[in-house]
Amino acid sequence: MTPLFDLDLLLTGTYHDWLVAGLITSLSLTGISLALALPLAILIALIRLSPVKVLQWSGFAFVEAIRNVPLLAHMLFWYFGAPELLPTALREWLYARNIEATSAIIALTLYTAAYMSEDVRSGIRSIPGQQFEAARALGFSFVASMRLVVLPQALRVTIPPLISQTLNLWKDTSIATVIGVAELMYQAAKVESASFRSFEAFAFASACYLGMSLLITGAAGWYQGRFPVRAA
Amino acid sequence: MNLRNHLLVGLLALVTLVGGTAYADQLADIKKKGEIVVGVLGTDEPNSFVDPKTREIVGYDVDLAKAIARKLGIKLTLKQLAVAARIPELEQGRVDLLAASLTHNKEREAKVDFSLTTFVTGQKVIVRKDSNVTAVPQLAGKKVLTVKGGTQEPNLRKAVPTAEVVTFETTGQAFVALQQGKGVGYVNDEVSILADYAKLGPAQKDFVILPENLSIEPLALGIRKGEPALKKVVDDTLRELEKSGEAEKLFFKWYGNDSKIKFQARPFKIESDKVDS
Repeated sequence: MTPLFDLDLLLTGTYHDWLVAGLITSLSLTGISLALALPLAILIALIRLSPVKVLQWSGFAFVEAIRNVPLLAHMLFWYFGAPELLPTALREWLYARNIEATSAIIALTLYTAAYMSEDVRSGIRSIPGQQFEAARALGFSFVASMRLVVLPQALRVTIPPLISQTLNLWKDTSIATVIGVAELMYQAAKVESASFRSFEAFAFASACYLGMSLLITGAAGWYQGRFPVRAA
Repeated sequence: MNLRNHLLVGLLALVTLVGGTAYADQLADIKKKGEIVVGVLGTDEPNSFVDPKTREIVGYDVDLAKAIARKLGIKLTLKQLAVAARIPELEQGRVDLLAASLTHNKEREAKVDFSLTTFVTGQKVIVRKDSNVTAVPQLAGKKVLTVKGGTQEPNLRKAVPTAEVVTFETTGQAFVALQQGKGVGYVNDEVSILADYAKLGPAQKDFVILPENLSIEPLALGIRKGEPALKKVVDDTLRELEKSGEAEKLFFKWYGNDSKIKFQARPFKIESDKVDS
């Protein structure tokens, strides 16, 4: 008779290895996507705030097009749709590698960057415009005014919402299961169908998501205490 | 009796009633409801799939479900399920019966009861010709695609432990990924592979179905554990279909010359609910 909750199954053996491999994949997806999304988000925010109308509009179009389509659709598009448009040689090269994870990272990066760019933009807008004007009056260029005067202050306002977006990104990695990326939910489902121990498999996954999410939330709280927003 | 006692008696009656319904015989419940809810895949031609003309779910499994509803004299409601959701949905009582290309194996007998075997198929691998794979063992280290939650993945792992298996929510998605070249092979029941192969049209020349069976899969209807009355009605219906020759007609209707699969003979009879493994 197997116990009601088989803890050993989660601590040792093949199923344990599968689940841990899934956890590592989920963490890697989060880390890589975050590293790519952050600079992209800042770039998009700057594009939207630039004085050039065409740039403003294209930034706006990017953000709205991405935010208004569910992540599931993004995943399926970047896996089943977009790569088919590539030239044959490049496509075959890509398909021979880890196309599943690549597509997932592209989808997660763009999706997260769209949200983060709005946070960065509102952070920048929270810095009084006179500071930017003063910097320009002293002869700094647009980029230099942003880099040396506005962004250092804006980022302090922006970090807490960015951490909250990272939390969303961490949970969103679970959607990658639909395109065959062997992340945590995928491995939990695999353990379930191999062992019929659904409760244990999903308990492990839930504990990982919850634990990691609490760490991220804790980081946001710590940052706000350590670096409070200064009155402008 | 004062008011409090009245309430108490009422509560007791309610508990008995609710508890009573939950534990009553499922067949009696179904008859009382006047409806049997049957879980099907709806994505697996020719067992259950959406007819492009009528937009209705049809197929071999569906016709068997219809025969059972007819025998009981009640309405049939089909509920479309994902492969991985079949057994949980049955166990939790959200469907009364599974007619969903369900493999009967010893492992699953701990979870659900099975009707007489309604179909026997081998599980096979279809590969891309440009992969130069001609036999199952050559799939070692290669990317092979299939559906989540079925017997396909465990069977492939047993045959080729080092194959890199990538799974999807539906068999259709896995097959599209094969066509796009995202893996060298795709595992499914032979009949489903034949139906998919037929849909390829001129692209058929780029694919080969490997001759070896990964396993022999007896398919059956799934019944919740410990419902002997329902199992008896289901098995009796199947036996009658076999005896009257109706079962053979259904086989050729969905698998014979008019179908995409073109089986010339029927290699099994609906007669036993025992499996070897």
